[in-house]
Amino acid sequence: MNKLLEISNLSVVIAEDERVLVNDVSFAIEPGEAVGVVGESGSGKTLSALSILGLLARGLKIGSGEVKFQGDNLIQASDETLRKIRGNEIAMIYQDPMTALNPVMKLGDQLLEVLNSHENSIAKPREHVLEGLAAVGIPDPKRAFESYPHEFSGGMRQRVMIAMSLLLSPKLLIADEPTTALDVTIQRQILALVAKERRRRNMSMLWITHDLGVVANLVDRVIVMYAGRIVEVGTVKEIFNSPKHPYTVGLLASLPAADSSKDKLASIPGVPPKPWQVGDSCAFSPRCWKSEENCRSKRPELSDRSASAVACFFPEGSSR
Amino acid sequence: MSLKVDGVIKRYKVRAKKSTISALNGVSLEVKRGETLGIVGESGCGKSTLARLIVGLEPPTEGTLTWNEEVLGKSVRNSLKSHHSKIQLVFQDPYSSLNPRQTIGSCVAEVIKTHQLRAVDQVDSRVTELLSVVGIPMDMKNRFPHQLSGGQRQRVAIARALAAEPDLLVLDEPVSALDVSVRADVMNLLVDLKERFSLTYIFISHDLSMVRHISDEIAVMYLGRIVELGSWSEVLNSPRHPYTRALIDSIPDHTKIQGIDFENVLEGEVPDPANLPNGCAFHLRCPIAKPNCRIEVPALKVAKASHLVACPEVLK
Amino acid sequence: MKTVREKTWINYYFKSTSGIVGLFLVSVMITLSIVSAFSLAPIDPLEQNPISALQGPNSTYWFGTDQFGRDIFSRSIDGMRRSLSVAILSVSIAALVGVFLGVIGGLFGGWIDNIVVRSSDVIFAFPAILLALAIVNSLGNSWIDTSIAIAIVYTPIFIRVARGPVLTVKEMDYVKSVRVLGFSTPRILIRHLMPNVFAPIVVQIALSLSWAILTESGLSFLGLGTQPPDASLGLMVSEAQPLAAFAWWALAFPSIFITVVVVGLNLVGDGLRDALDPARRSSG
Repeated sequence: MNKLLEISNLSVVIAEDERVLVNDVSFAIEPGEAVGVVGESGSGKTLSALSILGLLARGLKIGSGEVKFQGDNLIQASDETLRKIRGNEIAMIYQDPMTALNPVMKLGDQLLEVLNSHENSIAKPREHVLEGLAAVGIPDPKRAFESYPHEFSGGMRQRVMIAMSLLLSPKLLIADEPTTALDVTIQRQILALVAKERRRRNMSMLWITHDLGVVANLVDRVIVMYAGRIVEVGTVKEIFNSPKHPYTVGLLASLPAADSSKDKLASIPGVPPKPWQVGDSCAFSPRCWKSEENCRSKRPELSDRSASAVACFFPEGSSR
Repeated sequence: MSLKVDGVIKRYKVRAKKSTISALNGVSLEVKRGETLGIVGESGCGKSTLARLIVGLEPPTEGTLTWNEEVLGKSVRNSLKSHHSKIQLVFQDPYSSLNPRQTIGSCVAEVIKTHQLRAVDQVDSRVTELLSVVGIPMDMKNRFPHQLSGGQRQRVAIARALAAEPDLLVLDEPVSALDVSVRADVMNLLVDLKERFSLTYIFISHDLSMVRHISDEIAVMYLGRIVELGSWSEVLNSPRHPYTRALIDSIPDHTKIQGIDFENVLEGEVPDPANLPNGCAFHLRCPIAKPNCRIEVPALKVAKASHLVACPEVLK
Repeated sequence: MKTVREKTWINYYFKSTSGIVGLFLVSVMITLSIVSAFSLAPIDPLEQNPISALQGPNSTYWFGTDQFGRDIFSRSIDGMRRSLSVAILSVSIAALVGVFLGVIGGLFGGWIDNIVVRSSDVIFAFPAILLALAIVNSLGNSWIDTSIAIAIVYTPIFIRVARGPVLTVKEMDYVKSVRVLGFSTPRILIRHLMPNVFAPIVVQIALSLSWAILTESGLSFLGLGTQPPDASLGLMVSEAQPLAAFAWWALAFPSIFITVVVVGLNLVGDGLRDALDPARRSSG
């Protein structure tokens, strides 16, 4: 099948000392597909996403691997090529919309700038921007056009960011925890908005989050990351109904259930290790109730590269 | 023993904007000994302000707070001196609530020494005991906060609060800043400690699923007022106030996958606390608002036994 | 059992090259000043010897002599001693008064803070050297008068440096937590607030010392402060100016001394800043 985005064997390292932060990550996104990447802080979920657009912070670099977008390898691409793709074919929304918007520039001008900096066939840019603002539920687009970012609440700013990212109808939207800083009722508004726009435009999406609950209702497929590696991949149904990796199982069990039981929460003891400290073992083995000698001396590889896979010697539901 | 909050109002003057922010607009509640009161609400609802008033960091503008029949003084200084050890606070962010230049052992020991809660030669063993109670191995005593993970720091913050031998612990978003896989552990610890030291909790969070897990009673706050108050089963299984319902609908639910309708989405945003709307503060977003809601501020009224709701429309 | 010992800031200080170089330069200058203070200079700095006037550097007069035949090396180290004494006294006064006022202002706010901030703004409004000139003019020329003048000029900087962090730190959760724990105000101040305000003050002291030396040199260059025949680096530069064309050493060596100590103190300041700020320390 035709992949829109294909990442293979990607690793991200600290440039100074080659310590590995993301290790051997491979996945693909098909046209129109929404993929969620779930992991805790330090799991490498955000770095993997930033690598796609070559936006890694200074001091970090891509150690190895390929990022293919519509067949072109973005890692070897020139800055000019990347610039053409950014904001145009691949757009991104961030956790904190305040830092992603220019505080001293009117919103309208910032949105127009996006159109001006990319070739496009939009005849009436101003009208296109106003339509875009209206589509994301900004109450008075004409007034918003003349406003500055600080005049808006966090939720409204995130809407503006979404409007901005959708202006050029990108094929892929990367969302880095865009609802984490928002209140729950506002988070739900934003999720509803993104779900609607995605369906309407048949756009692909990569949604990064630490909150399993958020992706459950939003994406088609889920990637679970732990200590810099993918530990499990599956459809939403597979991940939530029959998780295979003990980490996924533990994570789901540790969430207080909706049926208001007051039992002890199933907890995962310990803390996640740093990716570079793991070595040749399963990174989760020190916290895993199933771990055996094998897990500590050998690293389980992702079972296969198909749509659903797990990196565990003793996955849940398998006979031992 | 109980904590009573009676008609508490808290306003802040914002000099730069020459306006007044109404953080609390008349809050009354009671927490009985050994119970856990969960307070849930979104940003700007006043839940953290209430926490600061209860522990005496700030005085209320109006109204009274009583602890065991004793009024917590209007003067901040007094309330801190006389009640320091009985009501303690655990902050949300364990990265900023510990002094970065103090080892965790001396941070706990300092509380015991300052209030002379143990003889000098027993301080050390008490510190070890407290740290082990919260699950911190004693060989970490000499570490500095930045050498600990977020979960461990929050445990130290809890141990430090326990060192003062409190009766009431105010927990202000104690797990929100922690990694998902660590949250459950700290929640379980809190439940254990409550049993073990017969503590009373006020558990403040924006996360209804955590509040639901730990609370006996739940108060739902919106813009400085309590809009619904009752036992958790009443509030969560048969919510009456439209805001409570919206809040429950908004929790991302991992047990319902895909195909969820994003239809019952609560529109609008929380109004500015410096510029409160007339009448019911929720009427601008309320799906069942009637003209009268724009005029009259609804009082908390009994819906059923101990279940109070501030919405005349649902009580009809 | 493994006990983890925190590396102190001293360990971190000696990891930075600029810190080590700075400390070396400053130590050399301080040692020379001490030599001069105990009258151990090779030749009396005031002794005039017309026969050997304006000699270039040689084995007797290491830095050469001036137009009165006085030994420039001895005069330079004597001048350095004076400059350092003035700098240390003035910065001590400025730091004590400034930090006290800054902490009080930041802590209590309100009208106290207003007075502190406004009055330091007034002092800030004047160029440092001009203000020092005016004060020395009205006070007198002794080294103590010079020190007081320089202290007044640099006090507002310490007010700012102390007040800012106090404002930030007093709102930190850990200060609030110890308030809830019922600790007394002096205890919170000394144990929890000041240690976290300390670092920028120490750095400021190192930097201010170098500025104070420049100001003192400037004052004596202009004929205020140290009076002839006493030696002062600024005065020496001033006196050597007309001779520069044929006796470069009379101008060069005092200037080099000023430069070395100022650069040294600045490097020490940089080193301290990096060592005292946990965020700037490289991990590991």
